[in-house]
Amino acid sequence: MTKNAYDFNNLNPSATVIRRLDPLVIEKPRAPIHIHTYGGETRFFKGLAEGRLWGTYCDNLDCDPSGREAYIHLPPRIYCPDCLEKMEWQDITDVARETARIHTHITVLNPGAFNRVAIPCQLVSIEIEGVATVLMSQLMGAEPEIGMPVEPVFNTSNPTFTILDLAWKPR
Amino acid sequence: MIKFTERNLAPPKQMRPVYVVAAGHSDFRKRYPEKKTEELCVEAFRMLALENDLKISGIQELKGYIHSAFYGHFADHFGDQLLGEALIHDRLGLDPLGNVGIKTGGATGGSTVWMAANAVASGYSDCVLALGWERMDEVDTWTGNHYISTAADKDFETELGHIYTGYYALMAQRYWKTFGKSSDAFRRTMSKIAVKNRGYACSNPFAQGAARLTVEDVERSPIVADPLRFYDCCLMSVGASALLLCDEKTAYRLSDDPIRLFIAAGSHTLRTADRRHMDIPLLPAELDNTDVKRHYMDLYGDGETEPYPGFTGFLAARIAAHYAYNMCGIYDPMEDLDLVELHDAFTISDIQTYEDIGLRPYGSGPDYIESGDAYLINPNTGEPGRLPSNLTGGLIGCMHAVGATGIMQVGEIMWQLQNKWAKFHAPEELWERFGKEKPADFEDLQVQGARRGLAISHAGVGSHVTCSILMRPEALIKK
Ligand SMILES: [Zn+2]
Repeated sequence: MTKNAYDFNNLNPSATVIRRLDPLVIEKPRAPIHIHTYGGETRFFKGLAEGRLWGTYCDNLDCDPSGREAYIHLPPRIYCPDCLEKMEWQDITDVARETARIHTHITVLNPGAFNRVAIPCQLVSIEIEGVATVLMSQLMGAEPEIGMPVEPVFNTSNPTFTILDLAWKPR
Repeated sequence: MIKFTERNLAPPKQMRPVYVVAAGHSDFRKRYPEKKTEELCVEAFRMLALENDLKISGIQELKGYIHSAFYGHFADHFGDQLLGEALIHDRLGLDPLGNVGIKTGGATGGSTVWMAANAVASGYSDCVLALGWERMDEVDTWTGNHYISTAADKDFETELGHIYTGYYALMAQRYWKTFGKSSDAFRRTMSKIAVKNRGYACSNPFAQGAARLTVEDVERSPIVADPLRFYDCCLMSVGASALLLCDEKTAYRLSDDPIRLFIAAGSHTLRTADRRHMDIPLLPAELDNTDVKRHYMDLYGDGETEPYPGFTGFLAARIAAHYAYNMCGIYDPMEDLDLVELHDAFTISDIQTYEDIGLRPYGSGPDYIESGDAYLINPNTGEPGRLPSNLTGGLIGCMHAVGATGIMQVGEIMWQLQNKWAKFHAPEELWERFGKEKPADFEDLQVQGARRGLAISHAGVGSHVTCSILMRPEALIKK
């Protein structure tokens, strides 16, 4: 039989890889690409590539409990989780340089598929003064400890436009 | 939200009593190429229908009672089958009944029971099927870990290693270093949980992870994400579990021994990053305990010492327990309950859950293990433990076939309260059915005289939690 007799809709049964005969187990390969938008969080991810760390805050004075500037969200949120008004952006690069500390940390030795961080990776959660949240990120070039003062470093030369453009180093 | 009103936290209501009358599982395996997912689901349903002493002539008579169906299946990408609930519903031959698929991560099974119970409680249906499954063996572990990691925030978390265990371990590390003081004693408590749950799995013919381990075995096992080692972590499983829920009239028509079910749910942010400090919602017994309140002030300050729930507690579990306890009148779970099945995804998160649901105050979770309370037979005294936990082996010893897990737990608690543990675990025939030999060191794990039990089903790094409470009808607390 010619190859064409099987070859409809780009499906080529002759390419099926059989793993086992009884029970019959076959391979079903795929490699899709997703087209993903950052939408209203664009400023944050562009900011990393520009060497800036952006948080958001709610400036709705009627908002309880977070209607004050000190209460910054990082990761940024587009809408306030309390009053659902649009949040304001704030550049927190400098305060992060001065006050960031490690809240908790672990070492990743066995990542999952599609991982792009260098292994072993020091995963850290970062406290910053005036920030109500504790950002997950990565530490470069040091053994982490709870309470360790750190400062942000940015991948501005060859940005990936992902959260991997941000890392931290001891301060 | 970090501020709650009384309306937000009002005890949930069932407009009429809900009962569970029958349960069934497939066996659970890491890889199960011998059977398709639908075979496992049909096997769980057949056990439910034919082996629970129901007063029916057979499967078709039982199907004549069922009015709607709720299916728990979390990971479409793992199973590679969208709308799997339609496929399973068809294979069970339950068309044209209404059915719906439910997915809330690791709590999918619990949430499925929650929705099924609400369908009965509301009066919509008199008899409801809750059935869940997961198929995690179509990809290798490396791809599997990536798939699981996509249940984290894909922009802010998943990119960081594509490994969910890591996101969990950040909490574990904080708890270990602050409440656990990084001590060998605390490490030993974690190991004892793994030894206990793997050990109980040895008497469970459905279980995938049976093993007689020592504390040293656990502490020598490879590090997955420090401080979590291989034996600190739950299993990845293939399998199915089913539960039948009824109103009172149908329950007594079908069964001579139906069990009451109360169930409630809580939630918290998907990203651990976003967990802002808040006041501790107190459980009934804590509200009256000035010592505990003073202890919490010492432990957390006003969030300056340690934020609450921060990385050390699970607000979703605390809220689910708050709802459930107030719903059915539980005051002190250590006194009012006879056994529990907890979501031991990791040994540390198991300890954290002891505190969230009030088995011990926050910061004191390890004492539940060290006191011997968590064992069927207290290893310190040789007497029955006060509140045995995870006699199935739990997620560490029995299985974590995600969509089935929370359903399996409720079914197992029901069997315990019906005094039918032996019927579903002891027969040689059952072990042979799953291609196993009944072990020589098989133990009877029936909790003698058990009247009330609890099951916790838990998702993400604490994004969803359900709390089920089962009671024998003569042992209700709130009349
Ligand atoms: Zn607001």
